Amino acid sequence: MVNRNHQRVLHKSCNPTGSRRFSKKGQMKIQQMAFMLIAVILLFALVIIFFLAISLQEVRRTATMFEEENAMLLVSKLANSPEFSCGNSFGSSRANCIDFDKIFALKENLNKYQNFWGVTKIYIRKIYPNDKVDCTEENYPNCGLIKLLDKNVNSTSFSSNFISLCRKERDNNLIYDKCEIAILMIASEDKG
Amino acid sequence: MIKRKFNRKGQEEIVGFVIIIALVSVIVLVLLSFMLTKKEVAAVESYEVESFIQSLLQYTTECETYTEFLSFQKLIAYCDKEGVCLDDENSCDKLNFIAKEIIENSWDVNDESAVRGYEFKIFNEEGEMFVLNEGNKTANYKGNYQDFVRSGEDYKVSLTIYE
Repeated sequence: MVNRNHQRVLHKSCNPTGSRRFSKKGQMKIQQMAFMLIAVILLFALVIIFFLAISLQEVRRTATMFEEENAMLLVSKLANSPEFSCGNSFGSSRANCIDFDKIFALKENLNKYQNFWGVTKIYIRKIYPNDKVDCTEENYPNCGLIKLLDKNVNSTSFSSNFISLCRKERDNNLIYDKCEIAILMIASEDKG
Repeated sequence: MIKRKFNRKGQEEIVGFVIIIALVSVIVLVLLSFMLTKKEVAAVESYEVESFIQSLLQYTTECETYTEFLSFQKLIAYCDKEGVCLDDENSCDKLNFIAKEIIENSWDVNDESAVRGYEFKIFNEEGEMFVLNEGNKTANYKGNYQDFVRSGEDYKVSLTIYE
């Protein structure tokens, strides 16, 4: 009995056609399984990437929103701070109005204010009339750019907002309020 | 023989399925990479439009009357009353010139910037009093308006920036 079984096993393993048939079938099954696994992995990867892309966009949108809000708050805070704002010097109180004379005086005595606002650069650029000359004591007020604070450190890109740049102007014997349009630009230290 | 044929057919279907999935993955990945790495142009924010209108209304124009140099806000009302500046220039011509100059200097309208066009309007109590526009109108825009009362008349200034 044992011998007969042994013989059958020997016969099966020695038969070349039977062995090939079995291994071919197994190979095919393995191949099928491999293809299926690849397809399923690709499908899952695709779904994960798709959801990641959507959530990344959402994060970006939120970051932009916060950045915008922060920039707006910072620019408005600066424009309406006592060191910058027009106050009641030009009739009634005005929003986003910067006193040009005050700013120019501040520029000349900026040492105490280096770290006061927590920013690295504060520029004010006139939009109209469009002068491109840096403001100095000699050409004030016929100039277009005041670099109020310009620290030599890595800075983020500028956040900006439109402001009114007002000063007292003399025309013959008439002293009047002259307001021009400018942009207040602020950059912070880039810690990234 | 028949069994082998069935197996082969099944195998071919699976290979086809894998190829389709791979192709779709590549296409979706390319689209996603385009979507995620697209160049970001500085967009216009609505608070900028609001601040711009505020600053524009405070702008001191060259239109002089017997008492003062008119602000843009006062020039609107002066133009509505068909007033003439001391230099004999029509106040509405001056309003048109100044508005155009200031807007063009503030909003750079071209295909490479975020701004594709703008529409600036002034309304009085009767309706549209002044319109200025340039560029193309698109579906993506930021706008704002500000109203004020001058000499008992209501005025509204609106600006829409198309991106």
